[in-house]
Amino acid sequence: MLDTFEILTTSGVVLWSRTYAPISPAIVNHFISNVFIEEKAAAAGAKDDQPTANNPPYKYDQHTLKWTFVKELGIIFVAVYRSLLHLSWIDKLVDNLKTIFVDLYGDQLKKPNTTIVHCHKFDEYFDQQYQELESRGTTKTTHAADTPLYFDEEATSGNLGDEPPLPPGLKQRLKPSAAAKDVSPPSEPTSAAASNISRPSTPSGNNHLLVGKNGPRMSRKARKMQHTHSAPASSGDEASSRKGKKAPKKGRRWDADGFADEEDDVQLDYSVTQNTLTSDSEIETVGRSTAIEGVDSTSWGTTTSKGQFVLKDLGDEVHSILKSAEAKNAASSTTSRGGLVGSGLSTIGGLFRNVVGGKTLTKEDLDKAMKGMEDHLLKKNVAREAAIRLCEGVEKELLGVKTGSFESIDSRIAKAMEASLTKMLTPTSSLDLLREIDAVTKPSATSMRKRRPYVISIVGVNGVGKSTNLSKICFFLLQNKYKVLIAAGDTFRSGAVEQLKVHVRNLKELTEREGGKVEIFEKGYGGDAATVAKDAVREAANEGYDVVLIDTAGRRHNDQRLMSSLEKFAKFAQPDKILMVGEALVGTDSVAQARNFNSSFGPGRHLDGFIISKCDTVGDMVGTLVSIVHATNVPVLFVGVGQHYSDIRNFSVKWAVEKLLSNS
Amino acid sequence: MASTPTMEDLKRALEYIFTPSTPVITVGLLIVFLAPVLVHLYITRQTPYTSLPFILLAGPSGGGKTSLLTLLERGDTAVKTHTSQTAHAVELTVSTDAGARTFREAARDDAPGSHKKFHLVDTPGHGKLRGAAMAQLVGDGKAGKTKTQFGDAAMLRGVLYVLDAATLDDSLADVATYLYEVLLALQKRAGAGRTSRSPNAVHVLIGANKLDLFTALPAAFVRSNLEAELGRIRQSRSKGLLDSGINTEEVGSEEQDSWLGEYGSEKFTFDQMKEFDIQVDVIGGSVLEGNVDKWWDWIGGRI
Repeated sequence: MLDTFEILTTSGVVLWSRTYAPISPAIVNHFISNVFIEEKAAAAGAKDDQPTANNPPYKYDQHTLKWTFVKELGIIFVAVYRSLLHLSWIDKLVDNLKTIFVDLYGDQLKKPNTTIVHCHKFDEYFDQQYQELESRGTTKTTHAADTPLYFDEEATSGNLGDEPPLPPGLKQRLKPSAAAKDVSPPSEPTSAAASNISRPSTPSGNNHLLVGKNGPRMSRKARKMQHTHSAPASSGDEASSRKGKKAPKKGRRWDADGFADEEDDVQLDYSVTQNTLTSDSEIETVGRSTAIEGVDSTSWGTTTSKGQFVLKDLGDEVHSILKSAEAKNAASSTTSRGGLVGSGLSTIGGLFRNVVGGKTLTKEDLDKAMKGMEDHLLKKNVAREAAIRLCEGVEKELLGVKTGSFESIDSRIAKAMEASLTKMLTPTSSLDLLREIDAVTKPSATSMRKRRPYVISIVGVNGVGKSTNLSKICFFLLQNKYKVLIAAGDTFRSGAVEQLKVHVRNLKELTEREGGKVEIFEKGYGGDAATVAKDAVREAANEGYDVVLIDTAGRRHNDQRLMSSLEKFAKFAQPDKILMVGEALVGTDSVAQARNFNSSFGPGRHLDGFIISKCDTVGDMVGTLVSIVHATNVPVLFVGVGQHYSDIRNFSVKWAVEKLLSNS
Repeated sequence: MASTPTMEDLKRALEYIFTPSTPVITVGLLIVFLAPVLVHLYITRQTPYTSLPFILLAGPSGGGKTSLLTLLERGDTAVKTHTSQTAHAVELTVSTDAGARTFREAARDDAPGSHKKFHLVDTPGHGKLRGAAMAQLVGDGKAGKTKTQFGDAAMLRGVLYVLDAATLDDSLADVATYLYEVLLALQKRAGAGRTSRSPNAVHVLIGANKLDLFTALPAAFVRSNLEAELGRIRQSRSKGLLDSGINTEEVGSEEQDSWLGEYGSEKFTFDQMKEFDIQVDVIGGSVLEGNVDKWWDWIGGRI
């Protein structure tokens, strides 16, 4: 079942957690860094307050994480369970707990300069919700145990229509395990429900076909199971509490509002525990009042009973919280603006706050300004796709935020955009090429690694400057006194090998004094590039070179025939770094180029970095940088800024962000 | 006619106001003098104004920064934590007269002795989010602009760099790179302050965390490993490529600045940072075992 449920803040503190089966903290850490920080998995709004069902579940290491996020308080709700199980009620659980937690502890969370939130009592609320939803996931089938099973199946399949089908083999295995693991099946109806848990995991499409012969067999099995399992399975705190009232559920009432299935647990409990009440009619009236007004029943509940009863009381409180939240939602969506005077006043106030600051940003405020920002980015040659994603991210981040004093909306947006660009372009790990080369070519005595040459290969579309950038990198390495072997992997275009030879001759002359050494490895034209690369690496290892630079033939990124040879190339040459050269000149196509190249090296191998060439030709319009990083999450290593061998630079995020946001 | 008396009243009131008399003049003067004061108060109340001194928690992800924060705040145990995404400040008190010797006593409400308040600022250590910590170090001079700004950069008293001593062998490169950035920022800060009023000396404590684990390196080894690695980084930085955006004319002035420690020296040691009023200490501890008293003493000495 559920492994762990955690409530944590964006600053990393776990406020509350419940663990049923211990999981590695790495799972949640991976989830946070991938979904929230690097925004890999969910391009669609990790910063948004949306119900759990809309957030894509995150899967890692055989576990599935369902989550939701409250932006203004900065808290994340995560439920972790085994991917093998399909728990349809988790979404509801996470959402309900979110509502309850925010309602109960929202004030505490708003306090500045502390991480302490007193929420020990939340255990009870959690248990209540957990029990209720877990049993409710199957209550629809419960009462139908003695009615025709056909109807039962209908309800189930209707309820869980979106459940992904499971292979039939799994069904048989799941059935006993579900019933055995379940915590709350002591009383007759609930245990029937527990055995019915197996049913939701059957393929819903098959249900109607299987009903005829499968139905009765299952019900018999369910009854048997209930007899065998009811005693040992009655562990768990609430299970024991329910033991006392073995009375079968009778007279299930359906409210006019359709609350019945939500409330029926509670109504049932009242009818059982309130045996002291004299007449049936009294019970009924009380039951009704609780169903309709949670608050009334709370006060009534505390005066009449105690102990066990607290739980019911809690259930009502929970329902009232949930209901009021629902009502608030509905109200906020339907309320129109105030009268003419009210709107006029608020407009004036808005204008005033526009200047002074302290204005709470709404969607209307942001829409227009965001459009301007989007246009600005498009003008900077950012691909439309990337610009829209950036703007959506910033808009979600700013929605409901108060501007600072004397801060206009535009400046607030610019600030948020700067932050989000910086975050996007900043690499996750350090990119010091020289230190990486040193680590490979001069391994420390303790690391037990063998010395080998460091292999860098360069790929890209035709004419972007692969050979030029290769020789620039080579020049840089030669200045640092490395021995470099250049492999001519372009065995296709005439003149490619000669071109490299010219570069090598020049570099030799330039670096004679410095002490570097460079040679070329070539096998002429027509050969297989992957084999040439492999031979070059072997040769370099034998001859004691430090670095191998492999040039490749330019290829169109949407030509399957040419791109497919890259996979073999990556396998043969085993490069430490695969760098792709992209032009700053190219526009929207950069996204597709980066994506196709990134996915062409086979499973488990991606690009390691980009070199953006011809940055000197575009001025401020360096949007290509953003487009390719957006498409691949691969960092930019170098930028080419001129025609000379020395015109290559480390990529500085600050520089790029400044250029992108400058207004000229 | 109902309107006539009101018109009369209005007329009389206007006449009274426009006639120079003591009460009218005093009220007028009061308004003239008080209005700006009130407006000023209103605006200053709106902006979060914090001038408490603060200690910055920095270090790579997974070192135990947030855990340490919760331990110091609660006083008994650290709570479970995950990767942080935002910076977070916590207000703590340290005793000035040895009334509460340990953080355990100081965390209590009725801690003995007299106290000084300060903020402990936790920052995310993930590679993409280190800007939050660096912004605190450099300080853009615009204090109290947003809520993420924890007071003035001038109020920075020290940096507690927390690292995981148990996995240092594998993560040394990353740990050292971040430390290099932090030290370089502090060095530049000290250098920039020299012309005008020198800012408060900011000392650095390197907290070698997780010493409860078997594989953890003792503080002395952590120190020597870090010094060697920082030296290597300094070496490769000096040989590396220029950053984009730096013109060739600026190179001469920039080079001197981006060399950490004594310029041109062969080996890097933390002692070289003393030249810039930065004292670097390495002290071991363990958050999970609550063995952080030495760190707390260091913090107490800084406030």
